[in-house]
Amino acid sequence: MKNLIKSIVSLVCICSVVAVLMALTNAFTAPIIAKNEAQKANAALLEVLPDGGSFEEIDLSTYTLPKTVTAAYRAENGGYVVKLTTTGYSNGLILMCGIRADGTISGVACLASTETLGHEKTYGQNLVDKTADTIMSVDIVSGATKTTGAMRDAVRDALNATIILGGGSIDIRTEEEILADNLAQALPAANGEFEKYFFVEVVEGVDAIYLAKNQSGAVCVVGEQFIAVDAEGNVITECDAALAASVTAAVETISATETTDIDVTAYNPAPKTPLYYVESAKRTATGNYILEMRAVGYGILGGDSYHPASGEYILIRVSLTKEGRIIDCLTLSQAETDGVGSVCADEKFYGQFDGKTQDNYENVDAITITTNGYKEAIGRAFEAVKFLEGEAQE
Amino acid sequence: MKNNGNLSIFANGILKENPVLVLILGTCPTLATTTNVFGAFGMGIAALLVLVCSNFLISLLRKVIPNNVRIPCYIVIIAGFVTVVEMLVKAFLPALYELLGVYLALIVVNCIILGRAEMFASKNTVGKSVLDGLGMGIGFTLALCAMATIREVFGAASFAGIAIPFLADYKIEFLVKAPGGMVVYGLLIALVYVLTSGKAPQKKKFACTGCPGAEFCKPEACTMEKEEA
Repeated sequence: MKNLIKSIVSLVCICSVVAVLMALTNAFTAPIIAKNEAQKANAALLEVLPDGGSFEEIDLSTYTLPKTVTAAYRAENGGYVVKLTTTGYSNGLILMCGIRADGTISGVACLASTETLGHEKTYGQNLVDKTADTIMSVDIVSGATKTTGAMRDAVRDALNATIILGGGSIDIRTEEEILADNLAQALPAANGEFEKYFFVEVVEGVDAIYLAKNQSGAVCVVGEQFIAVDAEGNVITECDAALAASVTAAVETISATETTDIDVTAYNPAPKTPLYYVESAKRTATGNYILEMRAVGYGILGGDSYHPASGEYILIRVSLTKEGRIIDCLTLSQAETDGVGSVCADEKFYGQFDGKTQDNYENVDAITITTNGYKEAIGRAFEAVKFLEGEAQE
Repeated sequence: MKNNGNLSIFANGILKENPVLVLILGTCPTLATTTNVFGAFGMGIAALLVLVCSNFLISLLRKVIPNNVRIPCYIVIIAGFVTVVEMLVKAFLPALYELLGVYLALIVVNCIILGRAEMFASKNTVGKSVLDGLGMGIGFTLALCAMATIREVFGAASFAGIAIPFLADYKIEFLVKAPGGMVVYGLLIALVYVLTSGKAPQKKKFACTGCPGAEFCKPEACTMEKEEA
């Protein structure tokens, strides 16, 4: 027992003395180490803004900046260095961007990345001397679009951030955020929750309709205008009578839509009819068709060690008039390669098919297995409508 | 006579009982930090400082430290000094700090330091322990510098970072890599063996006391036990 206590006491004493010794050394060296590290950090900043002199970190909490901006430093000469964290092909692409006082880019360096091809190391060179107005004209590198596209967007964010930090103002919202803000403003009762209406009838004079998820009404987009309609169909946004009339007509048209199911399995599987790739089909009261098509993309045909095939079709909803003209098109589900084939879920891609017929749908550009398969499925939708019309005639 | 004894304690570490080349201790930092003379010298001096300080303190406390907790006590003392040295290097020699990286902190588990604490400082007076630490530290530094000189001059055609132009075309890059380090290490051990042949301490002088496997050894395999018996 005595031995045990002696052991404990001596070990505790030695530990305490050593701790005090370390604390004293730390108190002495810590400021010097901090100064060294600051110098090192300053050197890193000088790399992207060589004539910056000394730097002072800016407190970002008082500014509303793009999400990619994680830190910003103001240089002695009026320039800025902005630290950016973005997602290229994978998470954690960290960039340092130097911007001169005149708003041109002086350098872009990649601090950390897990990209596959290494373009992030060199692409920054292409952005040097660009400004907020000219940066989007720089081409991204084909085959490394995710990496270089994300880099370019992040550097544009940096340029926008310096405008804000310099006391200016600029709209940094994304297209989606702008749309969401406009919708919420037009119909506050919807609490910002909208669902885009899928057109099954030809509606003139209205570009898009967003239905409030809580049934409180709808917002019609006409050009730049957002016209709200309440649950009873009354136009509640102030606008001229003609516009109000066309919006009312559009809402009446879409709320009168009734559909009947067509049993596609009756035509499948053999012999293969044009309905083979049709998942489901509906006919509206006015004779239009709503088809859900299976498209054969990379998920079925492709697959390598990097991007294994998912084994899933792309599911497309497409509405057509009985004459075979596309009214609306929407990708319901897809499991294509992220960042490559997954563009088929982007409205910018499938929106191109709106208004197309069998004669001109080929004009839509398609270069990947996914988009080619998509186009083929759209082609089959025209065939299916012809077939179903033929059946209906009989 | 007394002076002679002290001198030999000091001199032992440099050649006859050189920790790296004769006792074969601390091989890990030896191989890792000898690609560059600057790094090797820095490592040697850092280890020397820790060795002298820890030998001093352990020897001073040798009668206070209870036998059953002596290893934790040594480790705490050594780790404390290593941390102090590390902070000083980081503050005043940041370039060396970057160069040595993790190996600076790993001096804590350097066999030489713990070995000298256990084998020498815990049994001898403060003065002798400090001399032993100095000798061993200088021996370690010299061995590291010798090895680093060979590896850097012939492997990278430079000395302490200064390029040697006429060797640039005859670099043996193998020497800078780990296997090359092993080969140089082996050759140096052989050289020291030849130089000290007959004078180097035989196994019995440092065998079982410092050997972690001593307790599990077959008694017949251990020459020291036999001879002492």
